[in-house]
Amino acid sequence: MSIELIIFICMLATFALSIFLLKMPAGVSLMLAAVVGALTGGQGIPARHLVEGGFGFLEAILIISTAMIFMRVMQETGALAGVSRGILKLFYRQPTLLIIVITVFVMFPGMLTGLSSTCILTTGALIAPILINIGMQRLAVGALIAMAAVFGEVAPPISIPVMIIGGGVDMPYIGFGLPLLLVSMPPALITALYFRYRYLRDYNVVKVKQYLDSTEDEKYGLKLYLPIVFVILYMIGEIRFHEYVPHLGVPLIFILGTLLGLLTRKGVRLIDVSRKALSSAMPVMAILVGVGMFLQILALTGVRGYLAVTALGLPEGIRYLAAGLMPFMGSAYGSASIIGVPLVYVFIGKSTLVVTAVLVLMAALGDLMPPPALICAYSAQIIEEKNHFKILKTCLIPIAISMTIGILILVFAQEISNLIL
Amino acid sequence: MAMIRNHLSTIIISILTAAMGVIAAIAFGKMHHPEVLYPSASLTSKGMLSDYFDGITGTNGDTEVYLYDSGVAGGTALLCGGTHANEAASFLSTVVILENLRVTCGRVIIIPRLNNSAFTCSDPMEGFPSSYEIPTKNGTRVFRLGSRVTNPLDQWPDPLVFAQYPSNQQLSGFETRNINRAYPGRPDGTLTEKVAYAIIQIIKKENVNIAFDLHESSPEVPIVNVIVYNEKYEDIAMNAVLGLEMAGLQFSPETSPKNFHGLSHREWGDYTNAIPFLMETSNPSMGRLRGETNVDLVLRGDCDNYKKAKETGALRIAYREETGEPIEHRVGRHIMGFIELINSYNYYYPEMQIVVENLPDYDMIMENGVGEYLKN
Repeated sequence: MSIELIIFICMLATFALSIFLLKMPAGVSLMLAAVVGALTGGQGIPARHLVEGGFGFLEAILIISTAMIFMRVMQETGALAGVSRGILKLFYRQPTLLIIVITVFVMFPGMLTGLSSTCILTTGALIAPILINIGMQRLAVGALIAMAAVFGEVAPPISIPVMIIGGGVDMPYIGFGLPLLLVSMPPALITALYFRYRYLRDYNVVKVKQYLDSTEDEKYGLKLYLPIVFVILYMIGEIRFHEYVPHLGVPLIFILGTLLGLLTRKGVRLIDVSRKALSSAMPVMAILVGVGMFLQILALTGVRGYLAVTALGLPEGIRYLAAGLMPFMGSAYGSASIIGVPLVYVFIGKSTLVVTAVLVLMAALGDLMPPPALICAYSAQIIEEKNHFKILKTCLIPIAISMTIGILILVFAQEISNLIL
Repeated sequence: MAMIRNHLSTIIISILTAAMGVIAAIAFGKMHHPEVLYPSASLTSKGMLSDYFDGITGTNGDTEVYLYDSGVAGGTALLCGGTHANEAASFLSTVVILENLRVTCGRVIIIPRLNNSAFTCSDPMEGFPSSYEIPTKNGTRVFRLGSRVTNPLDQWPDPLVFAQYPSNQQLSGFETRNINRAYPGRPDGTLTEKVAYAIIQIIKKENVNIAFDLHESSPEVPIVNVIVYNEKYEDIAMNAVLGLEMAGLQFSPETSPKNFHGLSHREWGDYTNAIPFLMETSNPSMGRLRGETNVDLVLRGDCDNYKKAKETGALRIAYREETGEPIEHRVGRHIMGFIELINSYNYYYPEMQIVVENLPDYDMIMENGVGEYLKN
């Protein structure tokens, strides 16, 4: 057995033991796995490498933290509630369309931040009571939100798992718009239809109308939506009209959006909102620090190269199986970095953009999976369900459908690329 | 006491984190101390890049410029190393030339650390060593191994999408700190664009006739072991490739893509009168398939993973199974490429000759090692 394989097994075992036995958070477990990997590889405790790796996703961490604060402020000002009520008012007569629009709405924060938990904690939290009130089963609501969050993490314009894989193979984050839409929107649509026809059979338009009338809220005015409009337009402006729009960076755009949000409604306390937002984002930020350290040690000890070369030598059928195992790595970012990077090499010869997009879908489904099952846990909180594995169980069929779609796209990646790119 | 007990784990983790931070800070701090170089006796003057564009004065983008003037009328060559500070042979080849060069006709300008800022940091999640040592006749010289791009402490944050100036070509945000995507640069741009602009200014103000940009690349990347040339100067490149072949060195000639903007071989040729060449050697320590990442891999370039990867036949890999890609081989190729391209240029421009002497050839470096040609 090669030393790299021994190191890798030690790292994975440490990660698993830390989570299952020591009940440590996923981020801390990744850090411990990195330290054990370095020790096994004869590197001692390489402080410089651990710190350097820990800063590998600093940009993503800043985006997540500022985006979470922004979305919380939008929640507090009532802007998100206004949008969700608006959606219901517009589409309540057509329940199928309503569920599809709601799915995309829940996906939206993830599309902007590349973070699935943002979807659960913001748009998901807002939409959940509405779905329950229009007659959807509670567990199904949690599962739909969780699935939409996963698709939001995959969908463009921001997909952090793509950036993680891209960082591993020197691939610029460019040209991913269509491939990411392809792997996220069809499964999202099918998932929405699945929940509509399985869990919302007894939809009653009259009751929903009564619900809308009974919950008519105060009028906030259009100014509430200015921060959302500002953030979206500025991000687009920075990319499309960079000659005229000063470059601020995504974190600063979210901060400005937050400040704008505070001006739109009195009584929202920035300190309280920030504390709540950062507290909920902390586990994910810790995972990113841990993943950075983990990746640094994989590269330092040669495990990354070993995995990549081993993957290159796999027979073709097994290569697809390897992609199918990605969701079972337990978190999107971890799966993207550990398995996603070598798998891109494995599928060299097919369109790298389409292949990476599929791998990102597979990796993102990992957010639903134990041991952390972070998205199921968040979703369970929203619908007040103690056992978050019930959410996972309700998600199983959409997960299987999504994986099937992903594998099919992977098999025909080059042909699809020739058609759409 | 109770409070301390309750928060014991927090306190321990905080202390450990602080200790790790201090150790790392010391290591990173060392990267801000440039290695001392020992120019040959032929050096006539030493200046700074900011002498040509004062917009980078006082920044980490400013870098040393060494001028070797023979005093005999002729052409001017510009030799640049360290465009990407993680490419060891790029910098080291320039240092060997700088410390041995004798110019008997025309002038040679050397910029060993073209992206000076990139030498002050390393690339996260790559596990690269921050320095490497070369044994010399009188001891050991330590050289830094930096990053591919400008230090984020000098230029941050990156945009989501980098729109190259002036082509408007879109690249990932990270590339905004890659100086070899920033040419011709602009005086009011980012630090990287300003340094690129300064390079264009030195080429123009010093009437540079021929310019070199030395690089290294992963063995699995298609553009490796190549001389990339601007299409206007194909004859010089082909003539040099033949000369190198006579010396037993295979170089693939590659035309600079017309639509890939910001690179030296494209923009130096389009925005100035200089004849630009970019050379790449194969460096396994930069590759994604590499094994343990350490100084030994950087210097010996011997990697079992590349042997195995080549055997799979899944990729085209520029790796020599028997010998690996040692630093002597890579530096030797760069220096021979420099000499042969100058010879070829002299053939086509006899009225603007540049004559360089006292440089070790490939065989000498392979036999004696790089350290033999480093002072001190």
